Amino acid sequence: MGLEATMICIDNSEWMRNGDYSPSRFQAQADAINLICGAKTQSNPENTVGVLTMAGKGVRVLVTPTSDLGKILACLHGLDIGCEMNLTAGIQVAQLVLKHRQNKKQKQRIIVFAGSPINYEKKTLEAIGRKLKKSSVALDVVDFGESDDGKAEKLETLVAAVNNNDNSHIVHVSPGPNALSDVLISTPIFSGDGEGGSGFAAAAAAASAGGVSGFDFGVDPNLEPELALALRISMEEERARQEAAAKKAAEEAAKEEKGGEQASSSHDTTMSEAVNTSAVIADDKRQNLTDDEAALLEQALAMSMDGAKSSSVDMIDADMSDATTEDPELAYALKMSVQESAGDSSTHSGMSKVLEDQSFVSSVLNSLPGVDPNDPSLKDFLASLQDQSETQQKQKEDSPEKDGDK
Amino acid sequence: MASVVSSVIPRGQVDLVDFVDWSGVECLNQTTSHPLANALKQGYRDDDGLRLESDADEQLLIFLPFTQVIKLHSAVITGPEEEGPKTVKLFANKEHMGFSNVNDYPPSDSLNLSPDNLKGIPVTLKYVKFQNVRSLTIFIEDNQADGDVTKVQKIALFGTTVDTTNMKDLKKIEEH
Repeated sequence: MGLEATMICIDNSEWMRNGDYSPSRFQAQADAINLICGAKTQSNPENTVGVLTMAGKGVRVLVTPTSDLGKILACLHGLDIGCEMNLTAGIQVAQLVLKHRQNKKQKQRIIVFAGSPINYEKKTLEAIGRKLKKSSVALDVVDFGESDDGKAEKLETLVAAVNNNDNSHIVHVSPGPNALSDVLISTPIFSGDGEGGSGFAAAAAAASAGGVSGFDFGVDPNLEPELALALRISMEEERARQEAAAKKAAEEAAKEEKGGEQASSSHDTTMSEAVNTSAVIADDKRQNLTDDEAALLEQALAMSMDGAKSSSVDMIDADMSDATTEDPELAYALKMSVQESAGDSSTHSGMSKVLEDQSFVSSVLNSLPGVDPNDPSLKDFLASLQDQSETQQKQKEDSPEKDGDK
Repeated sequence: MASVVSSVIPRGQVDLVDFVDWSGVECLNQTTSHPLANALKQGYRDDDGLRLESDADEQLLIFLPFTQVIKLHSAVITGPEEEGPKTVKLFANKEHMGFSNVNDYPPSDSLNLSPDNLKGIPVTLKYVKFQNVRSLTIFIEDNQADGDVTKVQKIALFGTTVDTTNMKDLKKIEEH
């Protein structure tokens, strides 16, 4: 979503007592604001959100833009309903607040909840819109509540005057069984200009759809946004690292003939780290995975872990997955590895041997997310691996003979 | 290509485009299709097809921070005869101004561009006011024809640098 400072303008006029949105218009508004604040702060931790009320005794700023979600939620309690909404003053004050934000690199955005009727002329609204556009402030309007003739049009002209490259939006919400917040989740107001808080929105939607914990990591983003964010980031980092490790492994195998000993040993540690942390992640994910997926994931993990264990074990067999389950072959492999380590292949760690094995590599690659086994570049690389492994086979045949002779 | 004074640089002055800190450059009320870079950057500004245009109304507010302290001597602002800028106010060392408070401060210099200036003849500034400039704000108030859109072909600034230490050249003395 990018770095943004947002000011939310609440309508707390008398028209908000009406109950055509459940439980009351004002409550629905408050819920929607909660969700928006959460989405903004989650999509970028440096985003700030501020709140002001437009009705009551006058335009009043409740909280200046802050990234502290608790402060924002706290100020929504104990708000009074009364009088009429002053839209122009509200927008002007919001603009002023944004102008004096601490981090000047943040883009400016105003979100207006317009529930009461609008008494201004279209021209006035257009002028305000142009002023906002001049100062590069984006505007989102939620048109709900009263809908006398002209209100929707007026708000549309306002947003059209501000709109610069699709950064401003307007949403019309009519009364009905759906909560205001649910309707808003699917609008660009929530998802920002890009993909933005769609992850958050999806989680929130899953929650409101009722029942199943649709949260990614068993953590409610509403209750613990930082934890959910941290988990999500570490998950992505882990995934990136695994892919990088797999790629590096491929490169290692390619460079093996030149005796990349150091590279492969450091690679070993990377792989084992990746394996360990992926086991942790697997635990986290287990509760959310279906049985099939869990089984597949465990199998993949088992394969890679066995690969790490048997780095001292030479895998000559074509089928890596079968090897460890059959004891006699394992014994044979162990014997081979003992001979191997006595020989020159101590420079080539078992890990790189394992990775040479084409079928093992392809099975690992299949289990990695985001890797398409049909990718032509992958196929080329696998073909080259196969050539490698053939020459390696010949070398292996030579060295056991040599050792045997000794 | 207009054959007019395109590279007349006053004696002893340098073109300050090299000292502009591009990460902090801002321009309010520009159209996205005709941004400030068209008027400022080398190459873009000499291209007749690329220019800076205003969006909602005819005013433009440009903020240029510099990588080091400079003295500003003169400026060249070119544009089309009708829609080129007329009144231009310059503010030295004022950050983050908006259209609302731009008229609250007296400008360091105020220019009234003539059609000759728009063709490329440099305008000499009040050198005294621009001795120690870290950032420059250019406020284009209106244009020649008082139309709704102001178009600027090129903005070039000339001056000298005040000798400041370039931190990148500082090297640690090695112990032998």
